[in-house]
Amino acid sequence: MIEVSGLWKIFGDASAKAHRMASDGASRAEIQEQTGALVAVKDVSFSVAPGETFVVMGLSGSGKSTLIRCLARLIEPTSGDISICGADVIALSADGLRDLRRHRLSMVFQHFGLFPHRTVVDNVAFGLEVRGVPRADRRERALELIGTVGLDGWADHHPQQLSGGMQQRVGLARALAVDPDVLFFDEPFSALDPLIRRDMQDELIALQLRMQRTLVFITHDFSEALRLADRIAIMRDGEFVQVGTAVEIVTNPADDYVAAFTQDAPKAKVLTADHAMEPIERFDGDVGSLARVGRWTVLEDFIPRLLSTPDPLAVAGDDGEVIGVVSHADVARLLAPPARAAAEAAPLETRP
Amino acid sequence: MTVAPAADGATRSAPGWPQSTLARVGIWVAVGVALTWVASRLLGSVGEFPQSWDVGLAEPISDARGWLIDNQRTHWLYTAILDPFSDVTEGAIEALESTLLWIPWYSYVGIAGLGLWWTRGRAAGLLGVAGASYFGVLDVWEQGLSTLSLMGVAVTCAVVIGVPIGVWSSRSDRVQRVARPVLDAMQTFPGFVYLIPFTLLFSFGPVTSLLATLIFALPPIVRATDLGIRNLPPGLIDAAAMSGATERQTLIKVRFPLARPAILVGLNQTINMALSLVVIAALIGAGGLGGSVLRALQTLQVGAAAESGLAIVVMAILLDRFFSGLADPTSRHDPARVKLLAIAMIPATLVGGILGWTTFPSQLTWSFAGGIDRAVEWAQVNLFDIADSGIGTGPFSDFITIRFITPLRELFAQDIPWPVMIGLVAAIGLALSGWRLAAGLAAALAAIGLLGMWELSMDTVAQCIVAMAMTLMIGVPVGVLTARYDRVRAAIRPILDFLQTIPSFVLLVPVIMLFNVGRVPGIMAAVLYALPAAIHYTDLGLRGVPAATREAATSFGATGRQRLLKVDLPLAAPQIMVAVNQTIMLVLSMVVIAGLVGGGGLGLETVRALRRSDSVGTGFEAGIAIVLLAAILDRVTRAIADRLSPPSAAR
Repeated sequence: MIEVSGLWKIFGDASAKAHRMASDGASRAEIQEQTGALVAVKDVSFSVAPGETFVVMGLSGSGKSTLIRCLARLIEPTSGDISICGADVIALSADGLRDLRRHRLSMVFQHFGLFPHRTVVDNVAFGLEVRGVPRADRRERALELIGTVGLDGWADHHPQQLSGGMQQRVGLARALAVDPDVLFFDEPFSALDPLIRRDMQDELIALQLRMQRTLVFITHDFSEALRLADRIAIMRDGEFVQVGTAVEIVTNPADDYVAAFTQDAPKAKVLTADHAMEPIERFDGDVGSLARVGRWTVLEDFIPRLLSTPDPLAVAGDDGEVIGVVSHADVARLLAPPARAAAEAAPLETRP
Repeated sequence: MTVAPAADGATRSAPGWPQSTLARVGIWVAVGVALTWVASRLLGSVGEFPQSWDVGLAEPISDARGWLIDNQRTHWLYTAILDPFSDVTEGAIEALESTLLWIPWYSYVGIAGLGLWWTRGRAAGLLGVAGASYFGVLDVWEQGLSTLSLMGVAVTCAVVIGVPIGVWSSRSDRVQRVARPVLDAMQTFPGFVYLIPFTLLFSFGPVTSLLATLIFALPPIVRATDLGIRNLPPGLIDAAAMSGATERQTLIKVRFPLARPAILVGLNQTINMALSLVVIAALIGAGGLGGSVLRALQTLQVGAAAESGLAIVVMAILLDRFFSGLADPTSRHDPARVKLLAIAMIPATLVGGILGWTTFPSQLTWSFAGGIDRAVEWAQVNLFDIADSGIGTGPFSDFITIRFITPLRELFAQDIPWPVMIGLVAAIGLALSGWRLAAGLAAALAAIGLLGMWELSMDTVAQCIVAMAMTLMIGVPVGVLTARYDRVRAAIRPILDFLQTIPSFVLLVPVIMLFNVGRVPGIMAAVLYALPAAIHYTDLGLRGVPAATREAATSFGATGRQRLLKVDLPLAAPQIMVAVNQTIMLVLSMVVIAGLVGGGGLGLETVRALRRSDSVGTGFEAGIAIVLLAAILDRVTRAIADRLSPPSAAR
């Protein structure tokens, strides 16, 4: 659905020289020192399958916002290829780009980007309005989506009369109103309170289960990425340092930078019995008497059952065969912080 | 306090920016005064600016005027371009005026009442009814409509021209770069100098008034449109783009509606400025309320001047209240009922118009001119020198004139020889900014001399300095108070709003009541005119000091006074210099208008020229001198403001 290859974005005049330096392995700081140009996105390639939720996670300044703006061509990339729904986005004329945005691609913004002079329903209908849909039709469609995001009865209010979470529901409804194949989310929930953020994430997960769109989601919140993503890309200094599923990243971080995020990650929500178990071959007791747990059950879901018995649990494979055994110690080992981190933490406590 | 040597490289790097600047300024001033004194002694014999150097712009311009008058019936410039243009414009103004005269009087009362009710509530609606009735009661109905129609055409033109320019400038940085200095310049000069060049082409009449008004009133609407469209949250434009809106759709559906309040604020300023200039245009024969005030002032019928002057103020206030209310979309009252009444007014207006019920019933008219005249007489007898105590308007006038205006004028015009004056101004420019400013200032001042306007200009400068000093002496402390006490601010605010809505010309009326004619009433009017700006910018600057900075000072045990002197005022200094800049520009424009009431200086010369067509050349010269003076004063105060800004954050 989305194919990106060799995408670069360099801010500043000396982009050619900066491009060369970056390709030769110079760091972002060095390049900025010497050329004044900022390499915001550096040779990024990835693809997103239809119906997939692809999350780009990075800290502020990592280039993630620039990346999604390049994908949407809200800013022009310096070089690279982008294909969305089969359209060569870089080569599109202004008309073609507009057509793509009117029919196949929508975006939800960090600060909502709602029009304060329009009511909720007119905000939601905006995309249909600029596309030329007759007034009655677009209102009907907008009201339907306002219902979908749970804002029935708010259609004729102005956005500033709504709470932050409700405003972003309007933003979501507006993006969905044009029935797009691809949705871009630029840190849509980071301006919200933690509890509201959680609700919105749940809502998005539920919607996505029903609608099966292709989503590209930008966030600086690692646990948000873990909750929503089919695959996660970790971005740093304009580059993707690791791309993989939540489990791949948590169990096998590519470098210390990624590992630092995974340390505080809620592993019990990500890792499954499959990761914790000992293979059946190494177990010499009677498997038949043990309680069973599915191979892909996350730790959080079977820990209570494990704690209620002194015995380990038997892990069933996809075909129902017992393929391993998971014990208290196995789970504890998986969740405990790495030994190195523990050793580093110790001297701190003895400081005067 | 140890004083560091001024131009020593070692001390320049010393930290402690405020103290070292103060010390350096002190040294500069001391050295400057000493040098000026020495140079004045040495060059004492040079005397006045040599008359023989006068470039004599007056004659060629008067000649050109003569040629234009001789040829205006035959030459293609008139027959093909200027005459059709004047015909169309005059036609528009006349058509509007006759339409306005056709509408029955009670419709105006209704429109004013309903408009203010809708935008500001019922009490304001009653104010509108009373305000519109005032014109009928005092029998200034026709003058009011004449002023309104000239202003209406000017404002319509300003919107038709200004909004597209504003949109264009908001869409293109290059256009903005070109437009900005032009708009700055248009706003720097006192409005009525714009009358002079157009009298050359169009003689006296409504077209000249219209064009001058248009130029004077255009900048706010252009600026407001530009800024209103530019300063939108960027997310909204991205959102529109991602919905697939075209540039045009974005402009119409997003940018314009969002910029509407800002544009309406600009429109309100444009209307306010247009009204003030339309009134001044009485000087070149425009009738209306301004004409009534001017005629009354010339014959010292203060009561009649007050009646018409107050009518102008009423018109200004009604318009200002309505349009500032309109600019705030959250401020709407009883829309359903107002709409119903407005619809009901349409047939009432048509019926009244057809039946000719246009004039205000004469049995309701009334005049307070006589009362005012008696009050003024009483004041001139009793307040001139209250109980022979030496306190009163007379001794006050004499005190200001003898102690300040006259010595200053003599200092500038005679005691300091002109080369020293130019050198001094150049030195100020050099100290503040650099060679470019120094050269510019010196050239501007020299040009004033070459125009033969040296002495008159120094007279005007002396008046400006006195008025500015008085304004700041009152305005800055009041600004400090309003910044500190919200209650003082709330109490003073309506007075300032009121003063700011009064067109400059009208302010002459009350000061003449108290001070008769001469230089002092002009200066008092200038103080009144500039005071709101001085207070407002001081208040703004002090309120802009971050709360955290102020709390830090308090937490170190600073007293209120210490905090004000060591933290608040230094940080607010650039804003306060904006207050000084605005004050001096307003004072200059008022001092010039005060030429009307015997203020002398450049204003008198210009006014004289505007009255008689044969001296238009001299008027032109005086006008250029005013423009040059304005530019000099503006640049100097701005340069000081730049110097006072704290070092900005590291690159």
